[in-house]
Amino acid sequence: MTEGGEERPPPEPRPDREDPATVLVVDDEERVVEAFELWLAEDYRVETATGGEAALAAIDESVDAVLLDRQMPGLSGDELLERFRETGYDCPVAMVTGKDPDFDIVDMPFDEYVSKPVDGDDVRAAVDRLLRIDGYDRRLNELYAVAQKRATLEAEKSGDELADSEEYARLRERQAELRMAVDERVAEMDPADVEWLFRSL
Amino acid sequence: MERSESSSEREVSTADLEARIRGTEFFRSLVENGSDAIVTIDKESTIIYANRSVERVFGYDPEELIGKKLTAIMPDRFHGDHFASVRRYLETGERELDWNDIYLPAEHRDGHEVPLSITFEEHVYGGDQVFSGIMRDITEQRERQRRLERQNERLEEFAGVVSHDLRNPLQTARAAVALARAGDEEALADLEAALDRMDDLIDGVLSLAKQGRAVGETEPVDLEALAAEAWTTAGSESGTLTVRGTLPTVTADSERLRTLLENLFRNSVEHAGEGVTVRIGSLDGEGFYVADDGPGIDDGDPDRLFEYGYTTAEDGTGYGLSIVRDVAEAHGWTVAAADSEHGGARFEVDAR
Repeated sequence: MTEGGEERPPPEPRPDREDPATVLVVDDEERVVEAFELWLAEDYRVETATGGEAALAAIDESVDAVLLDRQMPGLSGDELLERFRETGYDCPVAMVTGKDPDFDIVDMPFDEYVSKPVDGDDVRAAVDRLLRIDGYDRRLNELYAVAQKRATLEAEKSGDELADSEEYARLRERQAELRMAVDERVAEMDPADVEWLFRSL
Repeated sequence: MERSESSSEREVSTADLEARIRGTEFFRSLVENGSDAIVTIDKESTIIYANRSVERVFGYDPEELIGKKLTAIMPDRFHGDHFASVRRYLETGERELDWNDIYLPAEHRDGHEVPLSITFEEHVYGGDQVFSGIMRDITEQRERQRRLERQNERLEEFAGVVSHDLRNPLQTARAAVALARAGDEEALADLEAALDRMDDLIDGVLSLAKQGRAVGETEPVDLEALAAEAWTTAGSESGTLTVRGTLPTVTADSERLRTLLENLFRNSVEHAGEGVTVRIGSLDGEGFYVADDGPGIDDGDPDRLFEYGYTTAEDGTGYGLSIVRDVAEAHGWTVAAADSEHGGARFEVDAR
């Protein structure tokens, strides 16, 4: 499990835990937050926040995964994500948003990009993936995030736009580097994630 | 050609036709009166022939061009390249450019550049090697192409906004359904609100899509009468419209101008609320302004107001002022926003 602080724990498989994982849900729509809670409450401990300040107050070392809206009045989800990372919380984060992804996502420190609208199955699947990758080696996690961003952008942008993008080129380069570095770690991964990662390479 | 008119009704043999077409007069007429400009140069790039159409395309009489260098109808930046490539071709037979249907700008007598599609031919005349260019003015095609590109950009921008704007209320609707199923009956009210919101968005989008068209017939429009009509639909229940001085007559598609006014008025009512006073007045006799006594523009960048989907109102769609911009631009006008001297917002439509 992730500890707060600068360093992730050394690579080790995620230990089986008795107590449920904690998920923090952040969205400015009250009803959306309530529904996420409804969908997740059976399997997880859920904390909610409907604004940036409340989210900053809610994040702590007990949080195992975050579902984060991007566009909120006041502190945006993008800014919140920065603040989480600056203060040392590096638990996995999924952006759950109505905003179309642009090349700016390349430099954003999240692990998944989920487009609204989502239903209960989508939300539970996103949280499952976040918690699963949390147990992996740091470079595997980064590879996963990089591959996610690449897939997100490839679904959104035209071939020409991708070819013209410096960010996208950087993303592909980083993916190749990480791929070399993590080969020996692949055995640790869940077969479903392995399959996804390699399909996307 | 003219002389052959008398015989046009009579039957003619193929041989007759052949002979007539081979006649010099036929070709002269074809070349002289064709809509493409044709210019022939010798090896030194001196113009030895130009047809009548050069006057329409370049602004010179053919007689004025004959004897001049071809560079007389070329923008300065191509002069060096032109002489170099002609020299290289004469020496080596190597062509710098494809000679068929290439795009190059020429320089009109008055200095403006004319986009041309050019096809070059090489032939022999009086024992000398000469070159002819058949040049078609493609200004209109270019303009049409630019319009289409702009329209495409607009559509793309548009599609992005639509999908994005609908996603959030869709998410709320989905959440509300789940909550209602779980026993929270009050969530149904939020479901209804989300559905209303999507309904508004769709209306706004449809209206905006219609405004994307070019303007129809324009005519002198009595702005004061039209403003009064627009106010009846858009604002009369919530406030007062005051006309400042004499409003100019503007040349417009009155249906579209009415839509523009309605959207400006609605914007004022939405932001200033009940009891708003909206003023409309002349802008140097060449346009008009609409100002209100509401909270004014608190955003740092007034241009953002006209972006698709941008709104600061609680339940605004962000399409109203986009419609205003689109209608104004379709007429060739400009529109700007500023704070008014009375503290509210002021929108200026400049019809110059």
